[in-house]
Amino acid sequence: MSATQIAGRVAGVDAGAPIRQSSLWQDAWRRYLRNRGAVAAGILFLLIVVWCIVVPIVSPHDPNRIEFPDAYQGPSWSHPFGTDQFGRDLFTRAALGGRISIGIGFGATLAILLIGVAYGAISGFVGGKLDNALMRFLDALYGLPYLPFAILALAIIGTVNFWTMVVALSVASWFITARVVRGQIMTLKENDYVRAAYAVGVRWYMILGRHLLPNTLGVLVITIFLELPGVILGEAFLSFLGLGINPPDASWGSMAQDGRDAYRAHPHIIIIPSLAIATLVLCANFIADGLRDALDPRTKET
Amino acid sequence: MGRLLEVEDLRTHFFTRAGVVRAVDGVDFSVEKGKTLGIVGESGCGKSVTALSIMRLLPTPPARIVSGSIRFDGRELTTLSERELEDVRGREVAMVFQDPMTALNPTLTIGTQIIEVLRRHLGLDDRTARRRAAELLDEVGIPRARERLDDYPHQFSGGMRQRVVIAIAIACEPRLLIADEPTTALDVTVQAQVLDLLDDLRREHEMAMILITHNMGVVAESADDVAVMYAGQIVEQAPAHELFRRPEHPYTEALLAALPDLDDNGARSRRLAAIPGRPPDLIDPPQACRFAARCPYAGCGDSCALEPPALRELRPDHRVRTAHPASEREAVTA
Repeated sequence: MSATQIAGRVAGVDAGAPIRQSSLWQDAWRRYLRNRGAVAAGILFLLIVVWCIVVPIVSPHDPNRIEFPDAYQGPSWSHPFGTDQFGRDLFTRAALGGRISIGIGFGATLAILLIGVAYGAISGFVGGKLDNALMRFLDALYGLPYLPFAILALAIIGTVNFWTMVVALSVASWFITARVVRGQIMTLKENDYVRAAYAVGVRWYMILGRHLLPNTLGVLVITIFLELPGVILGEAFLSFLGLGINPPDASWGSMAQDGRDAYRAHPHIIIIPSLAIATLVLCANFIADGLRDALDPRTKET
Repeated sequence: MGRLLEVEDLRTHFFTRAGVVRAVDGVDFSVEKGKTLGIVGESGCGKSVTALSIMRLLPTPPARIVSGSIRFDGRELTTLSERELEDVRGREVAMVFQDPMTALNPTLTIGTQIIEVLRRHLGLDDRTARRRAAELLDEVGIPRARERLDDYPHQFSGGMRQRVVIAIAIACEPRLLIADEPTTALDVTVQAQVLDLLDDLRREHEMAMILITHNMGVVAESADDVAVMYAGQIVEQAPAHELFRRPEHPYTEALLAALPDLDDNGARSRRLAAIPGRPPDLIDPPQACRFAARCPYAGCGDSCALEPPALRELRPDHRVRTAHPASEREAVTA
């Protein structure tokens, strides 16, 4: 028994103690830690995030200040990643771009989760004709290509900033999440304990909120890291095409775009943001993989 | 003692692609206040569907109560709205399910699950509900009840989990407890304990109980009255002692004959008696008596091969649905 559990026990003697963490999550955590690739990916991911947050704060360079004399410098002590064609420090700028890329990535992923969970949960929980209608509608949407739809969404909204990017990237990518959640809810609601809860008069919203949705949490955590790479790549793609974040703000995609002109002479300008995107996406995939192994109840301990 | 539950001509059908399954097809029975009614029958005879119909817990579609009435303390349950039903379930009528391994949510502590019901129906605050939950666990015989509130279902054995399920069911002092095969999933040694517990609780709380089982021994041990179901209908209903002493329906006789007899020395060398044949298809049940095909007494030209026999009262409180009750057979052959 762990210290927190004992503490929970002691506190539990008081009436009305809140629900304590389940051992399911402790087990999952233990299984995750055993997966070295996933742990390494998780640490690297965290390092990148911390780097993106800290560097622009402590950096001596203004990431948006144009210094033509410093243009096209290779990596050096004062500019570890070199500078771009305007002489801006790429180390600081990559971190700043990372903030936006990762921020949009998580923002859009959360939006995907919110829409997907709401849609899927209603569809699966109500079932019957409504479920049928919602799913056929989803089938129709399914054919929509994700990136052209994001471009279209940006065109309709008219302005490009952080939040409109989040909207554009999530508007056509929540379909899979909705379907996954619906499937989960449909399976879960067949459980005896759900019927048992009905049998003692628990109201439908309590059944959905307490007995069904929490049990989809594992899948949702995995979904976050499965959706994240797609969204980050999508953002990079849009920015690379010049449809994304406007200068002087940077995202990794727009930085790669900046480096396109001189990629033969000064390849580091395009390589650095590309490498950052690739590393982050790779990490997210590894984390998703590790989480799936850790949270899937069918994964037997070896 | 008055009647707490009256079920009249209940018909619950399942509308499936293969056809209409008449899972419960004209069932009448009543439960007296504070008494136990045992419903026995083989798998698929409609016992559980009857129970779930009373709770209105069957998924519609495909299931629908086609006709009949279920009156609980004078109140018609078949026409209640879902909203009204939520107030009845758990408060007036509660249910214990067959498999305690799946009837509890594995991700919530058992305390949370008991408190949920107490707060829902009795409107207790957290503190009182928690104290009450501990009392309930204590009452169903779980040691160190107060500490175990914070345990998860997987930390309990099967028998202990069934006790928790029972604690949840009786939490709001329902007047009717429906136990659907409450001991089937348990070890034989634990079965008797759980049955005793149910019986004690019924007495203390003056609950009525419907005990659904396929085990004649369980019925003999704890039921006051017994209804024997076959192919969606009740074929015989009588007080327990009467039913076991003087079974009238050939099916009841066959069920009792199929019980192994430990006292009979000859029985050790004999094979267990079985009932030949299989129950009829409930999508298209025979027009005649549903037991006719397996009935040793149904001959050709019998009336029961043409039209179904009605449930008739042979003796006070002893009703039977057959053209060949044991007492009349003896009279003919003698």
